[in-house]
Amino acid sequence: MISKQLAIDVLNKMLETGADYSEIFYEDSIGNAITIENGKVSTSSTGITSGVGLRILKENQCVYGYTSDLTRKGLMSLADSLNKSFNGKQVFKVNHLDMIKCKNRNPIKKSYRSLTQGEKIALIREGTDAIEQLKDPRIVRYIGNFGSNYRFVAIYNSKGKWFKRETEFARLAYSVVVADENGMETGFEGPGCQDDISYFKEKVQPKESALKAVNTALLMLSAKECPSGKMPVVIGNGWGGVLFHEACGHPLEASAVSRGLSCFAGKEGEMIASPIVTAVDDSTIPNAWGSIDIDDEGNLGTKRVLIKDGKLVNFMIDDFNGRRMGKEGNGSCRRQNYKYCPTSRMSNTYIDNGKTNPEDIIKATKLGLYAVSFNGGSVDPTTGEFNFGCSEAYIIRDGKITEPVKGATLIGKGEEILKKIDMVGNDLALAQGMCGAASGSIRTNVGQPTIRISEILVGGRGGELK
Amino acid sequence: MKFDKFFELAKKAGIEEAEVSFSNSYSLSFSLFHGEIDSYSTSNSFGFYARGIYKGKMGSISSDVYNNKMAQFFVDKIIENASVVENDDPVFIFKGSKNYRKINTFNRQLATIPVEKKIDLAREVESKLRVADPRIIEVATVAYDESSSSLTIINTHGLKLSQRSNYFVYYAAAVAKENEQTKTGSEMFLDNDFDKFVPNELVAEVVKETVSQLGGHPCDSSTYKAVLGPAVVSALMNAYVSSAIAEDVQKNSSLFVGKLGQKVASSKVTIEDLPINKTVFSKSFDDEGVATYNKAIIKNGNLETYLYNLTTAAKDGVESTGNGVTSGSKVYTAPTYLKMKPGRKSQEELFKEIGDGVYITEVSGLHAGLNSRTGNFSLQSTGFLIKGGKIDHPLDIITVSGNLVSLFSSISSVGNDSKEFISGTSCPSVIVKKLVVSGK
Repeated sequence: MISKQLAIDVLNKMLETGADYSEIFYEDSIGNAITIENGKVSTSSTGITSGVGLRILKENQCVYGYTSDLTRKGLMSLADSLNKSFNGKQVFKVNHLDMIKCKNRNPIKKSYRSLTQGEKIALIREGTDAIEQLKDPRIVRYIGNFGSNYRFVAIYNSKGKWFKRETEFARLAYSVVVADENGMETGFEGPGCQDDISYFKEKVQPKESALKAVNTALLMLSAKECPSGKMPVVIGNGWGGVLFHEACGHPLEASAVSRGLSCFAGKEGEMIASPIVTAVDDSTIPNAWGSIDIDDEGNLGTKRVLIKDGKLVNFMIDDFNGRRMGKEGNGSCRRQNYKYCPTSRMSNTYIDNGKTNPEDIIKATKLGLYAVSFNGGSVDPTTGEFNFGCSEAYIIRDGKITEPVKGATLIGKGEEILKKIDMVGNDLALAQGMCGAASGSIRTNVGQPTIRISEILVGGRGGELK
Repeated sequence: MKFDKFFELAKKAGIEEAEVSFSNSYSLSFSLFHGEIDSYSTSNSFGFYARGIYKGKMGSISSDVYNNKMAQFFVDKIIENASVVENDDPVFIFKGSKNYRKINTFNRQLATIPVEKKIDLAREVESKLRVADPRIIEVATVAYDESSSSLTIINTHGLKLSQRSNYFVYYAAAVAKENEQTKTGSEMFLDNDFDKFVPNELVAEVVKETVSQLGGHPCDSSTYKAVLGPAVVSALMNAYVSSAIAEDVQKNSSLFVGKLGQKVASSKVTIEDLPINKTVFSKSFDDEGVATYNKAIIKNGNLETYLYNLTTAAKDGVESTGNGVTSGSKVYTAPTYLKMKPGRKSQEELFKEIGDGVYITEVSGLHAGLNSRTGNFSLQSTGFLIKGGKIDHPLDIITVSGNLVSLFSSISSVGNDSKEFISGTSCPSVIVKKLVVSGK
């Protein structure tokens, strides 16, 4: 950490040329990753991320710089070079810093830093041993990885506030490659949390995760190519939420909305989705992968309803982009680390529960696709055009889940697809992912109950759906 | 910077061989929105990466800061990490190659050009883009990024290697609208010779890319003859060539298992890895300190070599190809600069050759829709319908699907319209005989 007096001096240095806001982001993080490949520990490595990011705002202009030189000289010199972007006179000074206190919603009982390498390896092995015991000749390669991180952040700003935040998070990931005479397939399962190691023993079972990765890959090995064309698609709960994340989440971030570069800009209060759709970004879920108690500019994490019964009611807003929108930040300002200028991002973003049993959604579908799991996707927030690739999918015939299919990609436009959601299940689940955008790669949860889209374009090589 | 303390403590702790790589980087970037600078960023950063062999196993540590007080902690972490390794892969701290080629990836002039001039050129792009076509309703951003960095590797065998490089990128993105249809387009220019940047050329490319997509509608779902544009070939080539990584071949998880010396593409296809070149992507040594060299990976359709680092080369009893890339304690393998050899035909001649078909200009969602292990892909795409050898209309909301093995085997013509990409590739357009397109 840096001393309060140094923080005040650096904040004032940044304000010297007429800026209306200055901020120091200090970070000191350490992470360890261990990999077991085909039964043996293959690598273990440690990384330290340590530095300071300085941000100055003046009206709609943002200036950012970072350094790993944490001396007074290093920080003052960076502040001095950044303030050259403006040529006005100092408007105000920071005289004191008061601490912002916030509730710790992500407490952990035992720090990852106190675990031995042996304890982490034993955890990974619960899954890799289970794969080994299958003795299935089709499994040609299997990898278990456990990454655990401790992150300390202290932020000081010209509003006279400062706060510190400690987070610990970890991810246990299994990936497999299977092959037979039909070719090769891959499977992946990677649960993560902002909780201690007990999460991986009580809430998720390493063995189950590892075997799920194997089973998905084996299933896809025997699967036919997915048919193509427009068709009804039932999207499974949990990972299925990547659809909403891409098609709607990104275009609802203030970074796009504030510049009029989102397909949803200027549509607040309008019906943008089917009336059975309510969608939420909630950074207050205890110990969840994407939760934050306080964001990277000092606004407390909140639960924001984005779409209420189909109507657009809110966005994910940071203070800087909020200026163009005439709105205050609502706890959405995030960054990967001190090397990134922060902006509005998602946290735990999901479509909320509806009333229908998931089985009834399948039963109600005569012919279509059941997309269970996904590799991820991407979107152009301006046009709303998105894509996402399925890692596990089946054909629905006469209300029943039938043969597995592989190679399906779903594409469409967010504005159109949200209105075509015609059934929403009651089995909401969240899944952990990494989201990459302007302020780097951050932890986000996607989520949804089982839903149905009445019609969406499916790309695949299996010809027409019959 | 001196790391004597680190090496001394490492030796004392029983680390048999050790290596430090460190980098110093400077960056400058800014972006314009509505003629004003809306973000400006600069940085000076340091990176320290050390690895060492302890009882025959490799351990590593990376950090943004280094000082002598931390040296013991770094040594302890290397030992802690090495101590848990169980696999028997041979590990190396390299003694050095015989010769290292001289390359020139640093242009002194770049840092001497005033920031004001760099901003002025961005403003010029923005203002010209705004009036270039009535259908362009917004300039989403004009951005400039500049980076200058040096990398040094020092190890206990006395090896000391350094390389300096710099580059700049201008990036512009526009939004076009017509009849309630919105399309975005962007282009970038990358080099380290500032004099080569011509604002008008970037403007023209962005305009073309953005407005040409307007008025599009899907084509029928079917199998088409196709011209794949340079950007599409680049994306698919990167994925296909990753099958040549020796580690994946050795672990039976690559499309190129047992294919050395055999046909893996049509005879029209030659793909080279060219680390020694005149672009900013050039490098004379890899992350393990091995000298790089130019080589064909696929020549006239035949797989000529796998790509090796020191570990995978030792396993196959061959020399490293200078493609080692360190990340954490592991050394991965990757090509440096991939070039597909261009042919003689212009893009127009390629269109004429297919007569009726599709011209695919971009694919997106590669991380989700393309599996380089299986070779299968199904990707959101943009492009045009080709009728009678000419562009007919843009295609809106389509996907293209296929398998990399059959796609590269079916390339029947290669164009002369090579283009360089920021991913470190150079590719022309190609014709493929069959491409599955999903649309209506």
